Amino acid sequence: MLKEWLTRLRFLMSPKPNHEIDDEVQFHIERQAEEYIAAGMTPREAGRKAVVAFGGIQKARAQSHEQRPSFFLGSVVQDASHAVRQLRKSRGFTVTAVLTLALGIGANAAIFTLVNAVLLKNLPVVDPSTLVRIGNTNECCVNWGANGDGIYSLLATDDWHQLQKNAPEFEELAAMQSGIGQIIARRDKTQESARSVRSEFVSGNYFRTFGLKPQIGRLFTDADNVEGAPFVAVMSYDMWQNNYASDPSVVGGTFWINTKAVTITGIAPKGFYGDRLSSTPPDFYLPIESMPVLANAQHVHIPDRRWLYLIGRVKPGVAMTPLQAKITELVRQSFAATTTFSDAEGKRALAKAKVVLVPGGGGIQEMQDSYASKLKLLMWISGLVLLIACANIANLLLVRGMNRRAEMSVRTALGAMRTRIVRQLLTESLVLSTVSGMAGLVVAYAGTRMLIAMAFPGAQSVPIDASPSGVVLAFAFGVSLLTGILFGVTPAWLTSKANPADALRSGARTTTSGASLLQRSLIVLQSALALVLLVGAGMFIQSLNKLRNIDLKLNSTNRYIIHFDPQAAGYSPAQVEALYRTIEERFHAISGVRKVGISAYTPMEANNWGDGVQIQGQPDHHNWASWVRGNAEYFDSVGTHVLMGRGFTIQDTSTSPVVAVVNQSFVKKFFKPGENPIGRRFGSPGPVSSGDFEIVGVVEDTAYNSATWKNHAMYFIPMTQRIPESARQRPIEKDTGLYAGAIVIQTDRPMDNMQSIARQTLAAINPNLSVVKFQTFDEQIADRFTQNRMITRLMTLFSILALLLATLGLYGVTSYTVTRRTSEIGIRMALGANRSSVVGMIMRGAMLQTAIGLCAFGIPIAWFCVRYIQSQLYESKGMSLAVLTIAVLTLTASAAAAGLIPAQRAASTNPSKALRTE
Amino acid sequence: MPTTDLLQGTLDLLILRTLALESMHGWGIAQRIQQMSKDALQIGQGSLYPALHRLEYKGWIQAEWGASENNRKAKFYSLTKTGQKQLQAELEDWGRISTAIALVLK
Repeated sequence: MLKEWLTRLRFLMSPKPNHEIDDEVQFHIERQAEEYIAAGMTPREAGRKAVVAFGGIQKARAQSHEQRPSFFLGSVVQDASHAVRQLRKSRGFTVTAVLTLALGIGANAAIFTLVNAVLLKNLPVVDPSTLVRIGNTNECCVNWGANGDGIYSLLATDDWHQLQKNAPEFEELAAMQSGIGQIIARRDKTQESARSVRSEFVSGNYFRTFGLKPQIGRLFTDADNVEGAPFVAVMSYDMWQNNYASDPSVVGGTFWINTKAVTITGIAPKGFYGDRLSSTPPDFYLPIESMPVLANAQHVHIPDRRWLYLIGRVKPGVAMTPLQAKITELVRQSFAATTTFSDAEGKRALAKAKVVLVPGGGGIQEMQDSYASKLKLLMWISGLVLLIACANIANLLLVRGMNRRAEMSVRTALGAMRTRIVRQLLTESLVLSTVSGMAGLVVAYAGTRMLIAMAFPGAQSVPIDASPSGVVLAFAFGVSLLTGILFGVTPAWLTSKANPADALRSGARTTTSGASLLQRSLIVLQSALALVLLVGAGMFIQSLNKLRNIDLKLNSTNRYIIHFDPQAAGYSPAQVEALYRTIEERFHAISGVRKVGISAYTPMEANNWGDGVQIQGQPDHHNWASWVRGNAEYFDSVGTHVLMGRGFTIQDTSTSPVVAVVNQSFVKKFFKPGENPIGRRFGSPGPVSSGDFEIVGVVEDTAYNSATWKNHAMYFIPMTQRIPESARQRPIEKDTGLYAGAIVIQTDRPMDNMQSIARQTLAAINPNLSVVKFQTFDEQIADRFTQNRMITRLMTLFSILALLLATLGLYGVTSYTVTRRTSEIGIRMALGANRSSVVGMIMRGAMLQTAIGLCAFGIPIAWFCVRYIQSQLYESKGMSLAVLTIAVLTLTASAAAAGLIPAQRAASTNPSKALRTE
Repeated sequence: MPTTDLLQGTLDLLILRTLALESMHGWGIAQRIQQMSKDALQIGQGSLYPALHRLEYKGWIQAEWGASENNRKAKFYSLTKTGQKQLQAELEDWGRISTAIALVLK
């Protein structure tokens, strides 16, 4: 029995050795010959007859091999190894094909992975499908007044309490801060210096709503979120792991957060990155009710200050439509109690007020919304590249298939079965696709990493997984397999059907153009698509250039911006005037420092404060303007020029008359042409407040917030002067508007060590004064173009890829044509055709297809497609002729190059040699 | 001499049946089948050896080198245990089928 199994095993591994079969057959023949001799034949005749009677020995061997159980498997291995040999023999073809497919597959897998990770992924929480968000927009931070469209996504603390009480459809309803901010944290009883970290203020049921369990310690309870409760915080897992080496004693320990003692109750679970996808997730979670003290945030308890996002878990079986109607009604009731919605106009706005419920499993869709259109565009582009890649592969395989026509004919003539030949070619395609797929995998991994690095520059912990998902890879593999099979087997099938004799006869001598209609159509398609991508890239480059060349009306040379937070360092609003004096003096004492600006925020950063504006003596037009506080040297430090009147001086202090400087757009927006604004008064709407500020100067329109914000009316007030309206309403201790956010240093030369100097200087004033963020002015400006730069770079990358592939495709087909026509060209040259006419003939053929692709398809498609990217371009009205011309010229030039090489080869044909070829 | 084409699979049965008596080399098997069928069944070498090897691959028969009746080295085939079982099963099948066919043809 054992022996039986051993035998079977042996035959599975390898067939019977030939000599064994031969010996056996030999015996048979001899034995038969003996019989014949016994019947009276001569030994010679008997031997001959026995051999004849047996039939072919070779055949017996072959038939015996076929009986082997793993015969089929063996032939597959044989086919595969033959395929590998074939592919290695034509290395140029293989490398081109593998690279083409790998880039096509890799680019698509990378983009799809990013789309999957950014747009489609749910929060890592329990049962995300039952989470519902109240609100659908990304309005942020702290808002008041009525929204123009009547749709509200931010709600006040009071609104949240009302909804919690009156909407039992929600099992839990959590509230979270919309504008995630920075805090200064320092661990107690350690040498570590205070660090600026991200913090989010959340409700007590926040973690419970998401169904999360702590990594260690405990998460918040409702009791933590009560006014006057001991200060507690939950630390993120990443923070705990990266900065405290997963030290369990962090839990229960004390941290000084904005100079107040806070106990860490627990560590959030691993992988939880908060309620929204972000490249800078929160490091600390703090209860909402601790915000007024920890962050001196008054809005928490002001009924008409809206600042919270709400996400809740609905009970099973609750229908969304009636719930949305009910929540809208409850929100209106809650709004009705506030002053904003009390007057006649407020009541009108209240009737329009509405909230929209959306699925909450993905969290706040801020990042998703800002990336969606760009990612979708990239998906289209990578799809086009894949299409070009497939066309290329198809062309390469067709060319190869046709070139092997003679080989196939010979094999058919020698008796190979058609199925066997097709199977062989199929195996070749499969091997090629598999290799390409694996190479594509590598490209996909690297590409996803590159994309993430490009999309979130400088981010340390992006909660996005760079590994491509199975579905994505299966899709990409599938596409490449399909292409390979379709275009690898079709020509094989066609040639194997042809009569071998015909095929052999017409082998090399042909006067037809050689390339089939299908091949030429593929070239047309490729050049059309490549043009579309080139034009797209050109439009983006042009747009980015326009953006970069906008006159921002500032000067960034040798300027450094230090963001800091005096509030977090423990200064009260009454103490800041002295602090700012000290900062000015200390920085001026550093050699090389020219100007020291201090301001609430700076040009070209993501910040904007605005308020209603009424000019004294004019009716209230419900207009508003942005405003910034700055010190005496602020305008000089950022390079804003004073056009009329004066800027601020050190005489503008908390005790001097209240003044303001306005920009040109402000003058245009609030005054008639020719009116002199100097000496006029304005303020927030109201009979008293509209006379709060006296305009003493006009400055140019330096770009704040974004380069593209046109006619941005702004006013500037001295760093230390209180706004009279707020001075009438609250004591100085509650006036958080006095806190500065940035120091701008202008030096007389580039100073690489400015960052450490700034740190030391601030720490010397007060150890709690830490640098929240340090950048050169140029870096800060460049950050505002990150997304534009990313999309432009990717577009350029993809269009170069497309150009490369299209050129390669044209080269392949042209050079194939030349090979096919070698003897024809030989005859032509023998009959007197000269070099240039041969080159001309080949080039005409090559350029014709490109020209058709460009003119008949490329330009109209590009024209049509530009409108879809218009919204992402800066100041572009339709197709730019310059871009189109450059794109067409580039493509034509590469097509010419691709055609010229084979054309030159054709012209170098030696007539006598060419005629002998066969 | 009229010969009869063998039904698919019948050759396997005949070989197994022949080997059930004693172990034998290929030539002998062919001769024995020819004799027992009174020359009605002549096994072509082209089908004999593939069949033998198929049965060997399947593990129904096993081969050993031995001395032949003319004192030459020859390959002797014999039934394995599985082969014996297989023969039993195939004989039963054959009986059923031939009875059935006979009934139809009657």
